[in-house]
Amino acid sequence: MIHMEFALEARQLKKQYQDKLALKGLNLQIEPGEIFCLLGQNGAGKSTTINLFLGFITPTSGAAYINGLEVATNQLKVKEYLAYIPENVMLYPNLTGLENLALFSSLAGFDYSPESLMQYLIEAGLPSEAATRKVGAYSKGMRQKVGIAIAVAKRAKVLLLDEPTSGLDPKASNEFSDLLLKLSSQGTAIFMATHDIFRAKEVGTRVGIMHEGELVDVLSTADLNANELENLYLNYMHA
Amino acid sequence: MKKFWILIKYEWLNFRADKGLLILVTLTLLAGLYGIYYGTTEVQRQQQNIAGLEKLTEHNVEELKAKYPEGTDAGDIGYYHSTFAVHHPDSWASLALGQRDVNPYYIKLRLLNLQSQLYDTENINPQKVLAGNFDLSFVLVYLFPLLIIGLCFNILSIEKEQGTLPLLLSQPISLPLIVGAKLTFRMLVVLGLGLLLSILAMIWGKVLPDGRVALWLGVVMLYCFFWFAVAFLVAALQKNSAFNAVTLLGVWLLLTIVIPALLNVYVSIKQPIPQALALTIQQREVVHGGWDKPKRETMDKFFALYPQWRDTTEIKERFVWRWYYAFHHLGDVAVQDLATQYKQTLLARHELVQKLNVLSVPVNVQGIFNAMAGSDLPSYVQFLQSATRYHDSLREFYYPFLFRQITFTPADFAREPRHSFSSAPDVDSAVNGFVKLLGSVVVVFGAGLLLFRWKTASVK
Repeated sequence: MIHMEFALEARQLKKQYQDKLALKGLNLQIEPGEIFCLLGQNGAGKSTTINLFLGFITPTSGAAYINGLEVATNQLKVKEYLAYIPENVMLYPNLTGLENLALFSSLAGFDYSPESLMQYLIEAGLPSEAATRKVGAYSKGMRQKVGIAIAVAKRAKVLLLDEPTSGLDPKASNEFSDLLLKLSSQGTAIFMATHDIFRAKEVGTRVGIMHEGELVDVLSTADLNANELENLYLNYMHA
Repeated sequence: MKKFWILIKYEWLNFRADKGLLILVTLTLLAGLYGIYYGTTEVQRQQQNIAGLEKLTEHNVEELKAKYPEGTDAGDIGYYHSTFAVHHPDSWASLALGQRDVNPYYIKLRLLNLQSQLYDTENINPQKVLAGNFDLSFVLVYLFPLLIIGLCFNILSIEKEQGTLPLLLSQPISLPLIVGAKLTFRMLVVLGLGLLLSILAMIWGKVLPDGRVALWLGVVMLYCFFWFAVAFLVAALQKNSAFNAVTLLGVWLLLTIVIPALLNVYVSIKQPIPQALALTIQQREVVHGGWDKPKRETMDKFFALYPQWRDTTEIKERFVWRWYYAFHHLGDVAVQDLATQYKQTLLARHELVQKLNVLSVPVNVQGIFNAMAGSDLPSYVQFLQSATRYHDSLREFYYPFLFRQITFTPADFAREPRHSFSSAPDVDSAVNGFVKLLGSVVVVFGAGLLLFRWKTASVK
């Protein structure tokens, strides 16, 4: 069944881990150009949701769709449409930042020139002199920037982010927010799991609150300010 | 396919930057080069020794010619003249010395009883046996698996442990493609090294360029595939690197040391070999008893075997050579059944090992290499049989002189038979081993594929 209108969609998506129901029938639609921020405590089911969209785990029931294709049955095809930045970007330590980017870009089907690759790294905030050093000597923030460059260079229709600003300094975090807004304006659908309420309010089109595997609320950020969002979030967490 | 080669390219970049792996490959290369040097040097040493034996025989002949310029009783010559049965190494022996270090490759022979002479040189240096041969086949059979383990123990687990697998699998590539590319790259490195060393050894050892070239290279490739299949099977369990390393080393230990040791014990119990020493002692007792037996009784027994000499003069003297050589030969005849049984038991033991080597691929492969190089146990038994025939021909040569009492002149040395034996490779046995090896690869790789498909890949 094809759902062309949504970049991401979850239909009654469930995931059971032995005795724990990690995701309790998630229903969600995200349109192209939308930034959806998912807030929730540790263990709320945010990463499980992302892993289901990535096809890293199979749903117990229900289905996840990327660009209208069911993830579980189109594993390779859907990965052409999505890019992913994990909380802690890990790269090949014996390769340089530039080589890592070249590897992931070429696997994604892009044959960039070294100059273009360097430009992506610089735009992601990595100094050019660092780009030719081995990643083994990088800080977490520097690796994160390479991860961002990998995602951007893929020109994906869907961007899945799992705590992407973790390890970034405030300036880099702000630059990252600008980048998300720019990608969004170009039509990229962004799904971001985060603990950062203020960042979610700043960049998000909508914010979802997940609690114990359930999407308990979805709010439009245009309708509320950061403090209201924080209060709502805390209320759910203590409910 | 393009993505496959992209992965190969970056495997190369990772490999190039990994000092540990470079050291491992370099050490294996050096071990291989030393193995080639060791094998060729050992074969050259044996060839030089064999060449020296010819000079020894010539020297011995010259001495006897000088001592008996007018000729003498052939019995004197038979007693004081020694010649050699020699087992020339096959041109492939430098690649797989096999049992050429523990079994004698020449036997000093006189006209006396044969059996004690055959096993005079059976004693071996136990330290030499303990150390074994460090030839190319040793490097390929025992050290190459360690190289493959070193390269493959973390083939999949490292991606999880260094955290790169999620980012990798978020690209449009499958896990089997990643594992396949990683295995292929490592195969290229290992097979490249194995084939390079093999070809170098063939050139260095000046081997005959026959069908064995393809068979050897095929065995090297299949044997490496077997260990890659083992590594793949363990990787398919999707455990951590430490577990994989310990498991693979355990398999290596089991297949190269534990099972061969157990096989050795089992075969020794199942197929005990009578000591050649016991055979020699029994023969010596018969020979020594010959001095005390009536000459007529001895000669009647001998003439029953060689009626063509029955019409020769009756022995009245206290000592004549023909009587002496007759009771020496009767000593050989007395233990003939034991000698045959000894050789048959050796071959039966070899056959038993051939049947059981399906339990240990390294034992099978070592057997293939030895069979191809003519350095295995059947080759040695063939050499013993050839030496026996040579001794027979020596007796046939000397008997007319002894029984017709013809003077042996210096000119007669030129007509004396000489021995030369080169064992033929047992290609059939090698091909059988190859088929078994192929079966092992298919079974282990198939098990790995099933396990890989059955076990759900965990990305993190």
